[in-house]
Amino acid sequence: MAKAEILSIPQRNLWEKIKTFINAELIHILAAILFLLLAIFLLYPILAVLIKSIKSPDGLTLSYYAKFFVKGYYFQSLLNTLMLGFINTVVCLTVGFCMAYLTTRGPLSLRKPLKFIAMMPLIAPPYLFAISLIILFGRNGILTMALGLKWSIYGFSGVVIAQTLAFIPLAYLMIENTLMSLNPNLEESAYDLGASETRIIRTITIPLLAPGILKAGLLVFVMTIAEFGNAAILGGRTPFLAPDTYQMIIGEADFEMGSVLSVILIIPCIIIFFLHSYLLTGKKFTTIGGKPVASEPRKMTPLVKIPFLIISCLAGLVILISFGVVFISSFTRLLGVKNEIVFSHILNFDSNRAIYNSIQVSLIAAFIGAIIGTLLAYVIVRGKFFGRTFIEMVSLSGFALPGTVIGIGYLLAFNTPPIKLTGGIMILALNCVFRFLAVGVEAGISKLHQINIEIEEASADLGANFMTTFYKIVLPIMFPAFIAGFIYTFMTAIVSLSAVVFLVSPGFELAAVKIFDAAAYGEIGIASATTMKLVVIVIFCMVILNYITKKTGFDVSQKKRSVTV
Amino acid sequence: MLNDIHKFYDRLEVLKGISLDVTKGELVTFVGPSGCGKTTLLRVIGGFTPFDSGEVILDGQRIDHLPPNLRDTRICFQNYALFPHMTVAENISYGLKIKKWKKNKIQERVEELLRLVKLEGLGGRMIDKLSGGQQQRVAVARALSLEPKVLLLDEPLSNLDANLRLTMRGEIRKLQERLKITTIFVTHDQFEAMSISDRIVVMKEGVIQQIGSPIEIYERPENEFIASFVGYVNFLDGVVERVDLRPDMATVSTPVGEINFVPERNFNVGDKVKLVIRPETINMSRSEPANGDNILQGEVEIGMYVGSLAKYTVQVKGERMIIDQTNPRETGIFKENEKIYLTIPKNIHVLRKN
Repeated sequence: MAKAEILSIPQRNLWEKIKTFINAELIHILAAILFLLLAIFLLYPILAVLIKSIKSPDGLTLSYYAKFFVKGYYFQSLLNTLMLGFINTVVCLTVGFCMAYLTTRGPLSLRKPLKFIAMMPLIAPPYLFAISLIILFGRNGILTMALGLKWSIYGFSGVVIAQTLAFIPLAYLMIENTLMSLNPNLEESAYDLGASETRIIRTITIPLLAPGILKAGLLVFVMTIAEFGNAAILGGRTPFLAPDTYQMIIGEADFEMGSVLSVILIIPCIIIFFLHSYLLTGKKFTTIGGKPVASEPRKMTPLVKIPFLIISCLAGLVILISFGVVFISSFTRLLGVKNEIVFSHILNFDSNRAIYNSIQVSLIAAFIGAIIGTLLAYVIVRGKFFGRTFIEMVSLSGFALPGTVIGIGYLLAFNTPPIKLTGGIMILALNCVFRFLAVGVEAGISKLHQINIEIEEASADLGANFMTTFYKIVLPIMFPAFIAGFIYTFMTAIVSLSAVVFLVSPGFELAAVKIFDAAAYGEIGIASATTMKLVVIVIFCMVILNYITKKTGFDVSQKKRSVTV
Repeated sequence: MLNDIHKFYDRLEVLKGISLDVTKGELVTFVGPSGCGKTTLLRVIGGFTPFDSGEVILDGQRIDHLPPNLRDTRICFQNYALFPHMTVAENISYGLKIKKWKKNKIQERVEELLRLVKLEGLGGRMIDKLSGGQQQRVAVARALSLEPKVLLLDEPLSNLDANLRLTMRGEIRKLQERLKITTIFVTHDQFEAMSISDRIVVMKEGVIQQIGSPIEIYERPENEFIASFVGYVNFLDGVVERVDLRPDMATVSTPVGEINFVPERNFNVGDKVKLVIRPETINMSRSEPANGDNILQGEVEIGMYVGSLAKYTVQVKGERMIIDQTNPRETGIFKENEKIYLTIPKNIHVLRKN
């Protein structure tokens, strides 16, 4: 055979060469830029907190940590926080399991309404429950007065109740998901072999669901210990880490101790974040295959049905009442004390101003967040470079980090040049972007996994370069994910409290902070009215999301996340 | 055993009055295309699916009000539904423990069942360490553990590969015959149904089309659907021209000419009928056969050699017929466009058209 000549790419001028280079390496250039952004706006602030906690004027020191463990108050705060997390997780999982069991196995007529109620807290900021509990059980609370209660809602038990209600949907959704994927034939087989329903639940359902329940538990735990609003509003004299951090920084300007508390709070979160990802990849029982068979409603024994119903209905009732009293309180001068209908809360200038500011910040955050999220998803799914999984981990980690910690991190990191952002609107927006990046990234990743890479290869085969392919093929296909990321970031950002509470400047108040302040000063009417406005905005966003899901067939709802505050 | 079962899903009637009697020790197969209601019917018998009217009777007693665990029926699901967090022995003994058997009795029974399904020594294995065929055996052993009167098998072989399916088919049948256990077997595979059953119940859209032995179903299908559901078939429309009693013979005029057949029941002159001619019953030859009944002339359109048989599509006066030559070495291979003679047998099945 004659020796074949190597076909050389024709020589071109310098500009052409640069263009070729950029096209070939674009995904890497993109990855580098994105990583740089993640490093500046996510890793650096956390690092700043860490450094602050161990740096004294004379070099490194652990004295602040020593103070933490010596001074009983701080240590108590850690114990309280972990205790709160533990109790909350157990209660949420129990209620979540009962509700999920009923909505997947119980009578058909019950399934839809119960599911609706279980999901209701999703549309509200978590601190709605703190407000409703104050209305019901506060010093001038309706039930306190009516029944002459001595019990004070301010304290450990109040926080537990508010947190449980706030995180029921998270536990419910995850458990429902695993229950749905459990092949009903397994339970039917056990039934067929003579097992009673309690025995089936004990020997089949729960053991098989264990990994799923554990995952749900870990998430609820992290969310609970990091949650700021309920603990800050209802904590009273009981110390908890997240509100204590706020007290340290804003009240006493003790940045060192604030940082120590943050680091202490971050440790369990990080442990659980890794445990969680390990569980995701780790061995789990594959519910042996075949097509999913619809679970027919079965006859539940009263032994199971009655306690499950009581727990579910009780939880559902409290959720409904909470929404109800906050709604009524928005239109009442002071519910329980002066029951006259007023519109002054709804029309309150400061409240509306704060809502307007929040919308502004959230829109900016949503726009930037959706862009970065989409690009990150592309780089993570299609990139083949070293460190890809690290980028994925970092971009998802903002979700697992307590908001207070990121808040302090931003305060420490961007208070001085080279990047001075404090006091502006951008620091609020950027903070939201990087905290809630996970949602946009995950929407993007799941969309990209639906697209076969061959579509892009076909485009390349037809002569398109990387830029053209990305612009003409990838972006249009990813558009639903972009919109989903946009709305989710918006929704999450607008109710978020824990980080921005550190970053707002006096002249520029956000709705969530306004609610927090109003609740703290006993202006319950304004707190309720502002909360209801947020609820309306969130409902509006959900309607749009729903519409998109129907229109594009891209199920964004599976990425449902509880609102992180 | 089953009496006029009706089942609705919302307003959709999925079982439209099913009545069926199963004899003790019999293996009955429900077969039909997907969505015909066969699995639903099985779940009705097992007690998993409530139904709207009708009776389920076992040994003269109504059992339709009983939950699955109180019926003497045990089901074996398509996906086996083995408990993945338990070992083989724990799976098999699950029901025995619930019945509070003594420990040593349980152990004995598990050993016995493992021997029965040829899984000796695998009692300690986890389920995911078993092959598909082994999982299938465990599922059968578990269903048999409580010595049910009726064994319900829902497409038990559909998750196995083709060769294993053949072996397991034989083993299930042997086991069933040895234990003399009444068994109801659901499948969508008509050949599986033919090879394993005492009787076959062909279903379509929630209605039983025919109940009969495999031979009856194949050779004397009661309608067009059954005929074409079990194997390929050539249909010829025609009108009865002549009916003779001695010898018993009838003649039909069809688009391909007159065909004589031995009637299985009474036909009258003028009846519109459909001839059901199985491809393997038609004979093909190059030269005209000497004895002269039902001989047609045709031209080979397509020939396919498959090894064990040769398949031909033959044009006969504008009708296309499929013919299988089951011993191609004997008859030789026919070429395309070759002119050939066909002999249609006289003992063909004839459906009366309404």
